Amino acid sequence: MNRQPILPPTLVLVVVTVSLAASGCGRTPAASFRPNLVAASRTVEPDAEAEKPWREWAGNRQRQVATILEAMFGTPDDPVVLPETGLDPAKIQLAAGPVRSDIAGRKNGLYREHCAHCHGITGDGMGPTAAFLNPYPRDYRPGKFKFKSTWRDAKPTHADLVTILNNGIVGTSMPSFALLSPAQVDALAEYVKYLAIRGETELALYTHIEQELEAQDSLPEDRGFLVDEILAPVAAKWQAVAEPSAQIPVAAVPAGIDFALGGDHPTNKESVEKGRKLFLGDGGCVKCHGPTALGDGQANDYDDWNKLVVEARKEVGGGLETAHGVSTSAMSPEDLAEHKARLEWLETRTRVLDGDALKPRTIPPRNLRLGLYRGGRRPLDIYRRLYTGINGAPMPGVGPSAPGGKGTVPDEDIWHIVNYVLSLPYDVDGELGADRAMAAKDRF
Amino acid sequence: MPQSFRLAPLVVTALVAAQGCAPERVAAPSADSAAAATIRAGLLTAATPVAGGAEPVAPTGTGWAGLTGRFTFAGAAGDPKPLVVDKDTEVCTAGGRKLYDRSLLVDPATKGVANVVVFARKTSRVKNPVPEATVLFDQKNCEFLTPVVAARVGQVIEVKNSDPVGHNTNIANTSFNQLIAASASTPYKADTETAVPTVVTCNVHPWMKAYAVFRKDGYVAVSAADGSFTIADLPAGEPIEFQVWHERGPSNGAVSLAKPDLKWTPKGRFTLTLEADEVRDLGTLEIPAAALGG
Ligand code: HEC
Ligand code: HEC
Repeated sequence: MNRQPILPPTLVLVVVTVSLAASGCGRTPAASFRPNLVAASRTVEPDAEAEKPWREWAGNRQRQVATILEAMFGTPDDPVVLPETGLDPAKIQLAAGPVRSDIAGRKNGLYREHCAHCHGITGDGMGPTAAFLNPYPRDYRPGKFKFKSTWRDAKPTHADLVTILNNGIVGTSMPSFALLSPAQVDALAEYVKYLAIRGETELALYTHIEQELEAQDSLPEDRGFLVDEILAPVAAKWQAVAEPSAQIPVAAVPAGIDFALGGDHPTNKESVEKGRKLFLGDGGCVKCHGPTALGDGQANDYDDWNKLVVEARKEVGGGLETAHGVSTSAMSPEDLAEHKARLEWLETRTRVLDGDALKPRTIPPRNLRLGLYRGGRRPLDIYRRLYTGINGAPMPGVGPSAPGGKGTVPDEDIWHIVNYVLSLPYDVDGELGADRAMAAKDRF
Repeated sequence: MPQSFRLAPLVVTALVAAQGCAPERVAAPSADSAAAATIRAGLLTAATPVAGGAEPVAPTGTGWAGLTGRFTFAGAAGDPKPLVVDKDTEVCTAGGRKLYDRSLLVDPATKGVANVVVFARKTSRVKNPVPEATVLFDQKNCEFLTPVVAARVGQVIEVKNSDPVGHNTNIANTSFNQLIAASASTPYKADTETAVPTVVTCNVHPWMKAYAVFRKDGYVAVSAADGSFTIADLPAGEPIEFQVWHERGPSNGAVSLAKPDLKWTPKGRFTLTLEADEVRDLGTLEIPAAALGG
């Protein structure tokens, strides 16, 4: 008898991965948010004057932050949406929690089904698959996004997030979710904001601790502090992008450019040449992307997420080296105790960086001969990348940095660079010669 | 059902368990759900009228005063380390010029420490409006000419490139990361305060580094080559908390000195109330070598 397997093996895989993601490798039963220990461990420096051992008050403080966050945002299975976040609770409900159907038969738990294995339950970019990917999935907690229509350090609009979800990010593991219903994509975009606002609130609490509190003080827990002082400024930035002025202005495409015709068409020739000059000259692109645009210029830099870890490792490593170099033989008992506390703290930070951050990866400038544009391949998408640069990445902008500012290249001329960039993948016998242009070893 | 299908979950679990869970994560305390529910109840009660951020300090005095002093270094600063300059060398190291690490600059004659930043954390009154004058922030031979640039929020900084090659100027935690073409300049206005000076880099020339500090009230000074600093026009008659920062300060750049009269905290802060028309001189402030990491 030929019985069908009850569950197709791929589904088994998904279910297992998802449930593992949900349970943090199967140790804890209920899904929970992971505290941002990299931020937390930075703020708990041992204090000689503290009455309690640093571990104890650091633990108390972390517990308080976790409790406050649960009060403000609930848990992965049972989210709380404060009105001040500006988020729609119905959408959050649809995206949150374990995969299940609601009374109306709608599928719930979309985030855990589709995103958590890469982006993590917490949105920390550390789902079970994350360590194997390059680039790493986005860590939403600092509230920084790369591919968007707004000024460099502004939030993405809701439409920007929906576009990313529909298109995916080509050339990376981030898939397209165009097959989900518009309502589902909408709910997922809202949930990304929920996780970002939660992560930014957590960081704001730690910044407050770092800036304002003495070793053993605890945080206020009243509405005036938590909502008005901490949450409101975070949420305001997300609400600000609803204004049209939050988007960068887009200059009219100058005459002599017809993107539909391709870069080698006589109509575009002059514009592409202008773009090439700017690429090699005032635009400064050549410095990073290289004279051949293969992305072989300044190539050993990190984006902000990875840089944070690189710098923390450097700081902790340096601290450990100094601490180990100190002679303890002549120390008074008090100094010795402080020295030991310091060592223990630095060792804990090392373990936090190993377990709660991914091994830093560099972000090479893109090989522009591949024709892969992560933020979208329409001329308008490239225009936006060049205008503000790529937020969180080393790539600078050539447009003004803020409304009323002055760009390196006039807005209209940015279109010529766009034209040149879009011509590069087809430039088989340009500066490189036909064979080198797309040689396999240069592609990756 | 083929055997292998029935085993699939087991195999997958074993695989993921074997590799996915390492390295062991540091245990983190979990939330107290009962306490969370109580806090939440307080957050959901009728909204208090929004005060608009942190409450302003009420003015308690009149008149204006100054603060001055001089930072010196106790110990030998050692020779500055040369930097690895491997790009655009025809400009950056023109004529055999060398670039050095400037993170600790001690004047051999006076022992003064340059680039120590002193600023007031919060004040109730500000004497002067945001100056019309722009602050120049230039770069030449692939080096920022001002190691620590200070400006008021809303004041224009002229970000200039005096080199014949392009630089990008990347001010961390702001919207500013712009390519500045050869011999060009561009204005930038900070719209928020920096809690401590924020790092400025050029991603094209990775050795380039400076700091920028933006304050709403402008009560900030950067010590000169001889270590001296002065902040003028501070509001008199109110306790002002000052903070002292240096690039090499151990946590967040904090510089803390053993000065019992000032009760200098580990965060690099002390509080003073100045009298009208006085210029308080803190005298020579000697920084032990250990306070700046060696
Ligand atoms: C297979 C892994 C994977 C899955 C599944 C995945 N992502 Fe991503 N995601 C990534 C990677 C990798 C990046 C970073 C790409 C980059 O930096 O260029 C990313 C980036 C993003 C970004 C940042 C875009 C920006 O402008 O910075 C958002 C938002 C996002 N993902 C949302 C989602 C959502 C929502 C889901 C589920 C519906 C999801 N992702 C599923 C891997 C994944
Ligand atoms: C300081 C180095 C640097 C400079 C200067 C620079 N780039 Fe980039 N560029 C990068 C890096 C790094 C990335 C990859 C960023 C990422 O994926 O997060 C990138 C990505 C890109 C992309 C891909 C965008 C996408 O959607 O995938 C394009 C196109 C691009 N750069 C064009 C340019 C042009 C044109 C210029 C000059 C006007 C320029 N770059 C200047 C570093 C630089």
